[in-house]
Amino acid sequence: MEDIVRLSHLIDKPAPTACPGCGHLVFFRIIRECLDELGITENAIHANGIGCTGVHRAWQNHGYVPLTAHGRAAAVATGIKRTNPDTFVYTFQGDGDAAVIGLAETLNAAYRNENICVFISTNTVFALTGGQMSWETLPGQKTTTTPLGRNCDLTGKPMHLPELICEINPDVAYAARGTMNSPKHIIQLKRMVRNAMEAQLAGEGYSIVECMSACPNNWHLSPLECREHIEKNVLPEFPLGEFKKRGAQA
Amino acid sequence: MKECIFAGFGGQGVLTAGLVLAYTAMEHELNTSWLPSYGASMRGGKANSTVKFGDTPDEVIGVPMMAEADALIAMNRPSLDYMAFCKPGALVLVNSDALDSEYDFPADKDVHLIPAGEIAYSVDNAKGASIVMIGSLMKLTGWFGKEEAKQSMCNMFAEKGKSKLDSINIAAFDAGWDAV
Amino acid sequence: MKKTLMKGNHAAGEAAVRAGCMLYAGYPITPSTEIMEHLSARMPEEGRVFIQAENEIASIHMVGGAYCTGKRAMTATSAGGFSLMQEFTAYASDAELPFVIINVVRSGRGIGSLEPGQDGYRQSVYGGGNGDYRNIVYVPNTIQEMVDDIYEAFDTAEKYRIGVIILTESSMGQMMEPVIMPDYKFMEGQPEWAVTGTHKWDRGSDGLGLKRKAWAEKMERMTAEMQRWEDSGLEDAEYVFVAYGLPSRSTGEAVKALRAKGEKVGFIRPQIVSPFPAKAFEKVNRDVKGFICVETTEFGQMVQDLAITVKKEFDRNVPVNFYPYGIGVPSVKEVLANYEAVKAGGYKEVF
Repeated sequence: MEDIVRLSHLIDKPAPTACPGCGHLVFFRIIRECLDELGITENAIHANGIGCTGVHRAWQNHGYVPLTAHGRAAAVATGIKRTNPDTFVYTFQGDGDAAVIGLAETLNAAYRNENICVFISTNTVFALTGGQMSWETLPGQKTTTTPLGRNCDLTGKPMHLPELICEINPDVAYAARGTMNSPKHIIQLKRMVRNAMEAQLAGEGYSIVECMSACPNNWHLSPLECREHIEKNVLPEFPLGEFKKRGAQA
Repeated sequence: MKECIFAGFGGQGVLTAGLVLAYTAMEHELNTSWLPSYGASMRGGKANSTVKFGDTPDEVIGVPMMAEADALIAMNRPSLDYMAFCKPGALVLVNSDALDSEYDFPADKDVHLIPAGEIAYSVDNAKGASIVMIGSLMKLTGWFGKEEAKQSMCNMFAEKGKSKLDSINIAAFDAGWDAV
Repeated sequence: MKKTLMKGNHAAGEAAVRAGCMLYAGYPITPSTEIMEHLSARMPEEGRVFIQAENEIASIHMVGGAYCTGKRAMTATSAGGFSLMQEFTAYASDAELPFVIINVVRSGRGIGSLEPGQDGYRQSVYGGGNGDYRNIVYVPNTIQEMVDDIYEAFDTAEKYRIGVIILTESSMGQMMEPVIMPDYKFMEGQPEWAVTGTHKWDRGSDGLGLKRKAWAEKMERMTAEMQRWEDSGLEDAEYVFVAYGLPSRSTGEAVKALRAKGEKVGFIRPQIVSPFPAKAFEKVNRDVKGFICVETTEFGQMVQDLAITVKKEFDRNVPVNFYPYGIGVPSVKEVLANYEAVKAGGYKEVF
């Protein structure tokens, strides 16, 4: 019952500006649920990303900061966490934000093992700008900048961010990838988010959770078809799992 | 306002010697500025420092760059080029150990040849040639008293945590003072 | 209080510590690096945060992250490093977030040179990023003044919720002068705009129209309150020199020499160039023959602000002369020679 009351403040706010079937909001809701369950909502600061993840910050009712221009969220979060070590600090970014324009900030925060949580909602496109290729676009996927389908000979292959981060710094606290296309996966994803948050609260260091999210608008699929697309096309390229478990030796 | 240029190769102590003069001026309540050459000079090339200080505590230091120096301490031959930035009648102290042949000094400069390296070596302070020059400079200019200048020099090194060098630095200063 | 002989950059770093700066994040770039080196030792000593970041974009965003939560933070940089930070300064200005940057200018475009210069003026004053905004820009000409400016900068940034730039030159960072360090101070209480777990960022005014109005009011307020300059000999001046930073020290010497010769010259030295000290010009002799701007740029930057101010202040068209000193610091001799050229009509005024 308490959970219902706590979660009710999500819907006090103006309706989020998201498309029907958007994966970001499912992921974001899970983040909010975990903050509430851990009792840290009122001691959490959110460094938002650019693009759709930035737009959804309006759905936020705890502290968020105003200036995380395209990709800089991990650097902003670093500044917040280092000067406010007792505050819970996380970023919420898309793949175009964290893995492309902000790759330097993302990797370097992981390299330093900053005690922050980085949540990345990957929909394999630049969504807010209208569906261009990101580094995580699938091979052959049509986007507005790969009208004939992504040709990996010219663009490189899809980037796997959590795995890359484990390569850059095997000492990070936690790295995992989940998705939101079924109840089973949502429960798994929530466990991952909880792990990431608990890692920060225990001072274990950097954690990253990537969620493979649906983008019906830019994929030109119905929300239902998006679920299928994730299962059939996205997950074979981006396997789910924990790439660095908490407490595991590097 | 007084202006003094210290020039030589990097590592010859010309930055430190300039600091001794600036520190001494500061301890006399005078305004002062110390400006080093910068960049490649720091890494073994041509180095210099320019020190200016007021004649009275009220005098403000203008531009800190070398302009019309009252004195030049030249630790090597290329440094003599800086005579172009010296006033007529300026004092020029030359490390004669570094002059391998005759040099045609302009008539309007008060030139003193001082074997600074040799003197430093003779007082067991092989690296102290620039301190020897400071001793000579203080005597020839009369800018500051001998004991006060030495005290300021020791205070300056103390601030850098190098007090253990006091005795050899004082020996080099005294030798420079006596050499002119 | 005891004076110590300090290198400009070390003194700048120490002044930030004294002013209660809780985080320094930076990336090395000559000639600003000694600020960072000094703070790499001093910040941990004081239990504060020092971060060597991956680049200037990250370092200034770390500064922003800390300042959002009401913690004083600063970075220092130069040239291309300052250019990289302009994305942030635009965002911060939009959010009305305070920040402090020490810009130790080295002259030239792109990689430029290590020589001192003043061509960082426009980028510092006019924001440098996208959109229309201003920073408050201090232009000290001694190390003591720089220390005092940095000590004040955080208060100013927070008071107006604006970016503050300390604009100095490479030689200011490298030279030494005696300084008196101020006492330690800290931000008093938590500012009401600080982000916490329960308090979102509050821009004060949302919506473009309201924001424009708020900025206009802010500009008006700070323009009235932040007029700061030194002047001499304005009342009977035939020519008035205007210079800041190290060139103002050559100019000051030149003015003294000219006055000693009986020349009627005056001098205005802005101590803050943004907002520009327009009030200083009220005292200038109404029959002044011209202004002479001494700055080390190639095409003139401050001279444009000077020309606008002069146009507003006088009913007639008073010539504003500018000689492009390029890089370095002009010598007293050069300033004097160019004065003679202006007087003889040797070169045409630019405005």
